[in-house]
Amino acid sequence: MDTMCNKPRKQILAIISFLFLSFIFSANNVSAADGAKIFKQNCAVCHSLGTNKLTGPGLAGIATRAPGDEWLKKWIKNNDALRKSGDAYAIKVYNDNNQVPMSAFEFLSDEELTALVEYIKAPPVEKKEEKKDNGGGATAPTEQGMNPLALLIGIIAFLIIIIAVLRGVRFSLKNLQNEKQGLPAEEQVGPWTELKTWMAANKTKTGLVILFILGGLASSGWYALKGIGVYEGYHPTQPIAFNHKLHAGDNAIDCQYCHSTVEKSKTASIPSVNVCMNCHKGISEGPTTGKTEIAKIYEAAGWDPDKGAYTKPEKPIKWVKVHNLPDFVFFSHQQHVKVGKQDCANCHGDLKTMTTAQQVKPLTMAWCIDCHNKTEVPTMKDNPYYESLHKKLAEKYKGEPITVAKMGGIECAKCHY
Amino acid sequence: MATKKYWKGLEELNNSPEFVQKAQNEFAEQIPVEKFLGNENQESNGTNRRDFLKFLGFSVTAASLAACETPVNKAIPYVVKPEEITPGVANWYASTYYDGSDYASIIVKTREGRPIKVEGNDFSKVTMGGTNARVQASVLSLYDSSRLTGPTANGAPATWANVDKEIGGKLAAIAAKGGAIRILSSSIISPSTKGVIAEFAAKYPTTKHVTYDAVSYSGISKANAQTFGQEVIPSYNFAKADVIVSIAADFLANWISPIEFSKQYAKTRKVSKDHAKMSKHYQFESNLSLTGANADERVPVKVSEQGKVAVNLYNAVAKIVGGNSLPSSALACDAEIAKAAKALAESKGKSIVVSGSNDINVQLVVNGINQMLDNYGKTIDIENPTYTHQGDDAAFAELVAEMAAGKVDAIITYNTNPVYTAPASLKFADAYNKVGLRISFADRADETASLANYICPDSHYLESWNDFNPKKAHYSLAQPTIAPLFAQPRHEGTRQAQQTLLNWAGNTTDYLAYIQKTWMEKVFPMQGKYMMFTEFWNNSLHNGAIEVGKGEGEVLATPVLDSAAVAAPVVAAAVKPVKEEPKAEEVKPAAVVNLNDAASKINAVKGGALELALYEKVGIGNGNQANNPWLQELPDPISKITWDNYITMAPAQMAKEGYLMMERQDREASLATVTVNGTTIKLPVVPQPGQAEGTIGIAVGYGREKAGSLSEKTGVIGQNAYPFVQVVDGTMMYGALNVSVANANETTEIAGTQIHHTLMGREIVKETNLENYKKNPKSGNHDEMLVTHSGVKKAATIDLWDSFDRPGHSWGMTIDLNSCIGCGSCVVSCTAENNVAVVGKEQVMKTREMHWLRIDRYYSSDMNKEVAKEEGVGAIDMYLEMENPAAANPKVVFQPIMCQHCNHAPCENVCPVLATNHSSDGLNMMTYNRCVGTRYCANNCPFKVRRFNWFNYNGNTDFTFNPSQDDLGRMVLNPDVVVRSRGVMEKCSMCVQRIQEGKLEAKKSEAPLKDGAIKTACQQSCPTNAIYFGDLNDENSEIAKLRKEEAEGRNYFILEEIGIKPTVSYLTKVRNCETTIEEGRKTSGHAEAKEEKEHA
Repeated sequence: MDTMCNKPRKQILAIISFLFLSFIFSANNVSAADGAKIFKQNCAVCHSLGTNKLTGPGLAGIATRAPGDEWLKKWIKNNDALRKSGDAYAIKVYNDNNQVPMSAFEFLSDEELTALVEYIKAPPVEKKEEKKDNGGGATAPTEQGMNPLALLIGIIAFLIIIIAVLRGVRFSLKNLQNEKQGLPAEEQVGPWTELKTWMAANKTKTGLVILFILGGLASSGWYALKGIGVYEGYHPTQPIAFNHKLHAGDNAIDCQYCHSTVEKSKTASIPSVNVCMNCHKGISEGPTTGKTEIAKIYEAAGWDPDKGAYTKPEKPIKWVKVHNLPDFVFFSHQQHVKVGKQDCANCHGDLKTMTTAQQVKPLTMAWCIDCHNKTEVPTMKDNPYYESLHKKLAEKYKGEPITVAKMGGIECAKCHY
Repeated sequence: MATKKYWKGLEELNNSPEFVQKAQNEFAEQIPVEKFLGNENQESNGTNRRDFLKFLGFSVTAASLAACETPVNKAIPYVVKPEEITPGVANWYASTYYDGSDYASIIVKTREGRPIKVEGNDFSKVTMGGTNARVQASVLSLYDSSRLTGPTANGAPATWANVDKEIGGKLAAIAAKGGAIRILSSSIISPSTKGVIAEFAAKYPTTKHVTYDAVSYSGISKANAQTFGQEVIPSYNFAKADVIVSIAADFLANWISPIEFSKQYAKTRKVSKDHAKMSKHYQFESNLSLTGANADERVPVKVSEQGKVAVNLYNAVAKIVGGNSLPSSALACDAEIAKAAKALAESKGKSIVVSGSNDINVQLVVNGINQMLDNYGKTIDIENPTYTHQGDDAAFAELVAEMAAGKVDAIITYNTNPVYTAPASLKFADAYNKVGLRISFADRADETASLANYICPDSHYLESWNDFNPKKAHYSLAQPTIAPLFAQPRHEGTRQAQQTLLNWAGNTTDYLAYIQKTWMEKVFPMQGKYMMFTEFWNNSLHNGAIEVGKGEGEVLATPVLDSAAVAAPVVAAAVKPVKEEPKAEEVKPAAVVNLNDAASKINAVKGGALELALYEKVGIGNGNQANNPWLQELPDPISKITWDNYITMAPAQMAKEGYLMMERQDREASLATVTVNGTTIKLPVVPQPGQAEGTIGIAVGYGREKAGSLSEKTGVIGQNAYPFVQVVDGTMMYGALNVSVANANETTEIAGTQIHHTLMGREIVKETNLENYKKNPKSGNHDEMLVTHSGVKKAATIDLWDSFDRPGHSWGMTIDLNSCIGCGSCVVSCTAENNVAVVGKEQVMKTREMHWLRIDRYYSSDMNKEVAKEEGVGAIDMYLEMENPAAANPKVVFQPIMCQHCNHAPCENVCPVLATNHSSDGLNMMTYNRCVGTRYCANNCPFKVRRFNWFNYNGNTDFTFNPSQDDLGRMVLNPDVVVRSRGVMEKCSMCVQRIQEGKLEAKKSEAPLKDGAIKTACQQSCPTNAIYFGDLNDENSEIAKLRKEEAEGRNYFILEEIGIKPTVSYLTKVRNCETTIEEGRKTSGHAEAKEEKEHA
């Protein structure tokens, strides 16, 4: 257990692996999986499974420390009542932790409590075979992109060598044959001359090949030009290595917990530091980078974790914007998320799997228009604002699906003004 | 039925060959192609075609490579986000604008903590949601980088601690030896500020507070002291007046409370089929003012005659209602006066007579007229006075004399700039320098403050707490909408003047707490709605303005007047004790007013050959916002000239004296020197039809040498005319009766916006008069008919194209020409809302101003085709007559013109890149990022509303006066509207950002869009509610109902006969004229003869 705590990354991998496994082998391990879930939902904000203290003490070795499972259940359910009953160990725990009371969890059933206690007593250990699924899941495409290119160059080089060798072999064989038949030995012609001779003899084929190459170049040039200003795959290094996968994926925090204005404003807003501090006041150490990154939040907020107070000057965090739209575009999040009921992932990709946030969609106007042309809006009928418009459009298009575009969604002044 | 012929400027009126030729050209300047191609040097030039291609290739490659790099944009969120701020969503705060003259209860739009727009507050019963250009522009003055960032001592930056210590010591020393301390300020209507001054005076008992207004109305209050025993300015209610007679009072633009009066006035000018009734407005004046331009009958009179008009009007009214006459002398305009008197007498108790004169005698006579007409308690309310102008000219003159005599030891100036505004005769600057300790609260080192020992800069009103009492029983609050821009640690910071005074008085209370205390003690007990003070305070702060102690609709108290005395020239006014009013201490028992004396004094006034009338412009006003480029670029509603003041002169007189007639605005104007009592300034002369002959007009508020950085960037704008103010019998007179004007034989350039485009004789403005309107609501609004193969048809119904679907909304706008007074509030509002660039004088001269919304001003002449037929005038003579400059007193109409969002827009067809096209809700959309700047659209626009960005006004160093080139000024930009760059076309978008926002709110709340939820910037700022906007598809919307009601009435579309189907419509102007248009050119003489016949 101790070793695990020193390797938080492995720990989280282990948890995830365990979860993964438990889904597969759900029949065998139901209660422990539930325990993990319950722990994450209710306890993880204040307790780590290691020895480190967050708001509450670390839970490593709880099995040996605590008086027993039944005591643990009672404590979790309502520690206040347990203390009031005069339980000595309960009072000791309370006093040892600066008399900060733990919340009561009356709503947990006995089965759930059992599962939870089982889980915290023996959290699953790391399983190496599951590792490939995690951590590096969202490596930058540019890094991956290098490999096929190198491979291609390698293959081409290899082919050229093969061709050169084969030419040599063929020449030798030909001369050997000539020698056998008593013909004079052919003079070795350079590959270039040979190619020219062949080209002169096969003009149609040559023309086709040249045409093909030119076409290829033109099309790749065209796409290269089209790519100017399109930053698909852009994943800048952020001042704090914020991990969306950990927060939104593993811990299942809702996007709107942090991006809280997405339904109220045109901007989803990058959370202010005080939002981070809601949780990180208690969580000073994370599973992937330990204390280093979270310390940066503390520095920005002016929080002194030792004193537990905001004593230092505030330093705003200068995040690097990942999704950039030009200044002449007015994109409204509330229109899309609140009114249009679009999922964040439609434009931002599945951030629940990204360690580093990156732009996954091109965010070009063509992309916008494409979506507006395709997206049907049958659900809008429920919104009285659209009632008469829908009625009129339904009459006009007689059964054709009504898309955003047909509602005026591709008109210039919807975004440009 | 062709009615009046309007001409857009004298240039068009004169129709000189040069003008005609130039008018044919689309652009003011020829592109010098010939010159360029004919240049011999071209051939020997170093750059040949191949090199050019190389450069081109290189730059394209370099640009593409440069573009490949991902730009790194930083996003910096709050550390602790304030709870009330949602990024991207505006917060609105109620506040109050009061600069010592204009009062407006306002709401302030802030985005991410920055105030970016000011709108009127509908909760206010004083200004009723109205604003004017100066109020609209005041938000930019907040971001003025010329403001001081901390106190100065003898010109050097100092710290508050040191300044407080030094001044405290000096004041104590002065008080100890009994030396005089004076506080000189403009009118203060803040009960708390008055309390603070009282505290200061308690600490330093030798303190006296003198109120001085740059443009004073003390004549009115002094006259009321005599008539009613109350030295106050009454409340006027033009809304209740059927007949309005104004003798040179420009009450729609500047006089006392123009926003309030515009709102009231507009109510009397709304006509419909069911309500074919409107007020009748007579105006006697020298300059053609905004108010005069809106009058039904305008009579030009000389400055010296204005008082006599009042006397003769008194006599004429007395003749009808029965009463003694005052000694009088005959005037040329007696016939018009008689007509006005008749109308007044017929509307007894429902009329109003006002005078812009600051002469006590004139105001006494005007009071007498209103008393005879029984207007007090009905349209004029002396019991509920207005407090916004409390300047006491006599006290000020006394103070200056005291200072000059070296009897004043310390002077503190607050919100006043007398070195700039005081009359030359008072020699204020000399007197000021004789005071030992000179302290100023000015926010910048202006003309007065730069001579002070200490400047303790006040915060801007948008950064401050304050309270106001503009009228009896009306209170409002100002709250900060941004933390002080200049504050620790980067700057020493500004500090509210009230706080500074409190500190010096040794009171450590925070000024906010002080206001709350004042309200707790004084205002809270006056109301009965709220039981708890906190609740009362929070509600007052939320609403911004409250009315206490008087329920709406309650009958106003009528001053007790002896009915016998009313008719008599000697009026014994009732003595009414006034309780707990700010002016209470000044109330003295009323003396018996002898109007005979007043009339004799008025009659004794001798006019000169040339008289001067000073006036305030709608934009610059008294000059306190002279550093505001939005206001400088706002064209004067009458002359349409920007960035200048000038001499207005009757064209006939100009021609006589050989001044250049300025046939085009880019042509030069003659300079002339004006001398009054030894003070001389040199200004350009501008022809002004309607200017009374023998008079000239000059605007005050210009020639600010120390207003701020604008004058450094553009040179001093105009000349200061304040020195011409005369002190006559203890009050300031804003004019002079003996002026000499001499041609300086020099010329200068003037930037006007008036004649960029010709009217070509089309019926752009339609007009009728009330009599005809009653008979036929469609009078004056005739349809253009065309003969077709299927018979005669309305031109507008013939269409080459199919109409388009408007399945969702169909936005429409209607402008009531009868309500529009041309004040220009909408122009500034549009500038602020849409980030419209300021281009400066030079570009305006090149017809390149960027205003999306302009107000065209047309003068009329009375000749038309019917008259010509009747009088047998030939066609050529008729056209000559139509353009006859003898129209010395033309009628004026204003017409706001913005993009008409034509449903078959000519601009859309010609754009080669589809940068402008039509939306399904009826908007003509302009996509800047698509525009390549061919300007075809502007060429094809029949309304000339498209504006081209000839330069990058936001970056080019030739345009440093543009606010968006300044780190501070940039903060005023609306983040919801793109800042356009060089080479793109722009135009009115019908505030599409507001439409999008309003629609989204409706969508989010899952309800159909409410009518009125979306207001365009121009509509919202209009003080006369002349602009209607809404969804034409919504049958219950105001605009849909209006269009339906007026379909066979006043509604018309400009140029609809060319088949463009505009979305914006106009409502025919209705004039309450005596002569019908059919009677045409018949002069007042004719009409009078007719009238007399009727009488007989």
